Amino acid sequence: MAGKLQVSIDHNVCVGNAMCPHLAGKTFALNDDRQGSVIDPDGDTRENVLEAAEACPVSAITVVDAESGEQLFP
Amino acid sequence: MVTAINDDMFSGQAIEDPYGYYGQLRSEDPVHWNEKYKLWVLTRYEDVVWCTRHNELFSSAVFKTDERTPYPEIEESDMGLYDDIRKFFASWFIQHDRPVHMDMRRVLHGYFTPKSMEQWRPMVKSVIKDLLDEADEQGEMDIMRDFATPLPLFVIAQMMGMPYEDRKFIRMLAEKLLFIGRGDIGRMQPLHDGIYELIDYLSPVVEKRIKNPEDDFISVLAEGEKSGIYTREQVVSNAILLLLAGHETTINLICNGSLAFMQHPDQWDLLKNDKGDVVPPLINRATEECLRYDPPVKSIQRIASEDVEMGGKLIRKNDRIRWFITGANRDPEQFEDPDTFDINRWPNAHVGFGSGIHHCLGATLARLEGQEAFKALADRYDTLNLEAREFDYQPSITFRSLKALPVTMAMAAD
Ligand code: HEM
Ligand code: HEM
Ligand code: SF4
Repeated sequence: MAGKLQVSIDHNVCVGNAMCPHLAGKTFALNDDRQGSVIDPDGDTRENVLEAAEACPVSAITVVDAESGEQLFP
Repeated sequence: MVTAINDDMFSGQAIEDPYGYYGQLRSEDPVHWNEKYKLWVLTRYEDVVWCTRHNELFSSAVFKTDERTPYPEIEESDMGLYDDIRKFFASWFIQHDRPVHMDMRRVLHGYFTPKSMEQWRPMVKSVIKDLLDEADEQGEMDIMRDFATPLPLFVIAQMMGMPYEDRKFIRMLAEKLLFIGRGDIGRMQPLHDGIYELIDYLSPVVEKRIKNPEDDFISVLAEGEKSGIYTREQVVSNAILLLLAGHETTINLICNGSLAFMQHPDQWDLLKNDKGDVVPPLINRATEECLRYDPPVKSIQRIASEDVEMGGKLIRKNDRIRWFITGANRDPEQFEDPDTFDINRWPNAHVGFGSGIHHCLGATLARLEGQEAFKALADRYDTLNLEAREFDYQPSITFRSLKALPVTMAMAAD
């Protein structure tokens, strides 16, 4: 199984386009301000989390491999 | 004390100086009932963001739902034309609500992400180089006519896989659609004709892409037909949406931004002396500041899906609403010195592209075009000199659009 992820969202940039909860709903949800927030970095498969990060229209999502520290996106 | 507010948003004053007009509304009556056009005018940053993010309360299906007559008024005899036009606009995905909106947007979304758009940067640069080379031969240009208008059109034409020879034709049609006087009582006929000419042009192209998909976005839309999300009619109309959406908007980014630089020589110098030592890069920040300071799109329209209380007022179900980016982007509650053009401003959470689920699909492309255009101007010219003293704007409450922007250029030394 792939290792754990560190996922963060830049709220200065996120426009609440809601693609991330749509594509990886166990990892992302909308908060009270209707911006994306991380509920569980390992809620979805690595592929789905990366797909959501790529689909973010403003590249607000950063994904890092928690073990190696390698930045996977962007 | 509240001064009387002139509700004619098409008046000379409101068109020339929307920052004064909507700024006054923002400070005196941020949730304003416009009696003349019978709609709510919202101007505060916080309200605009809140509304865009509460899409369940504010419907985008304006053309489908709104049975009222258009404003400003049109010829009585043109109501039949208006019905056709309404039906056409109603099939745009921008005019849909969840959940259908998500299905329709997803078909195209991947094509327009920051990562996939980056591959078009060299193409955009080369279009810009050709246009400026041509202008240099004259030593002067109308930035609107010679640079800002052809740029997004040539770019989107490439992304549509449109043959080079067809550009002139498309440009002519697009102008028919977009450069007609917005408030003009007789606007329905040219609008109607333009739409049908575009449908006639694009229908056979769609037919071809359905049979032989290529890497353009019409093929992507055609995939959407195969998977049952779009009808054939919707494929055609949404291709037209993409053709137009990048047109009237991006031209204003280029023109309004160039004008801001000419009116703020210190900021132009800053850009020219960019050392490349900040993250995000200065050119990106500058483009965002242009989008904030003099936004291409002034307002967005919705229909209330239910009763909503805002700022002590009751917006009723089915009321027409327009929220003004023009007001929000200059809100002192959100931006320090909001009326200052500061290309170093960061973060810069302007709402030039809207926000929420309808946040501009083409934002990355528009940003890329803006960045490359401003960079090319600053690299190429020592100064841009304004050759006009007065500025004439299109009489539109949707777009902040100059009619012309004549300049002469002084070349950089090397
Ligand atoms: C943001 C979503 C949009 C909404 C809610 C919207 C709404 C409207 C409304 C209410 C009108 C006035 C129609 C009338 O005369 O009563 C209009 C006109 C028009 N819109 Fe949009 N629009 C949107 C986006 C766009 C985009 C992206 C384009 C393409 C650039 C566009 C192009 C036009 C054109 C060409 C007209 C006709 C202008 C005229 O009436 O003279 N619209 N739109
Ligand atoms: C500087 C240039 C641009 C500006 C300022 C701009 C502005 C906007 C705004 C304010 C909206 C939100 C409308 C709403 O909430 O109803 C929007 C939506 C949209 N824009 Fe743009 N736009 C630009 C360029 C483009 C380009 C180049 C394209 C296409 C290639 C495009 C395609 C769209 C589409 C399809 C939508 C609808 C998104 C949805 O409903 O999910 N725009 N744009
Ligand atoms: S996809 Fe991006 S913009 Fe949309 S909610 Fe998620 S982080 Fe925010």
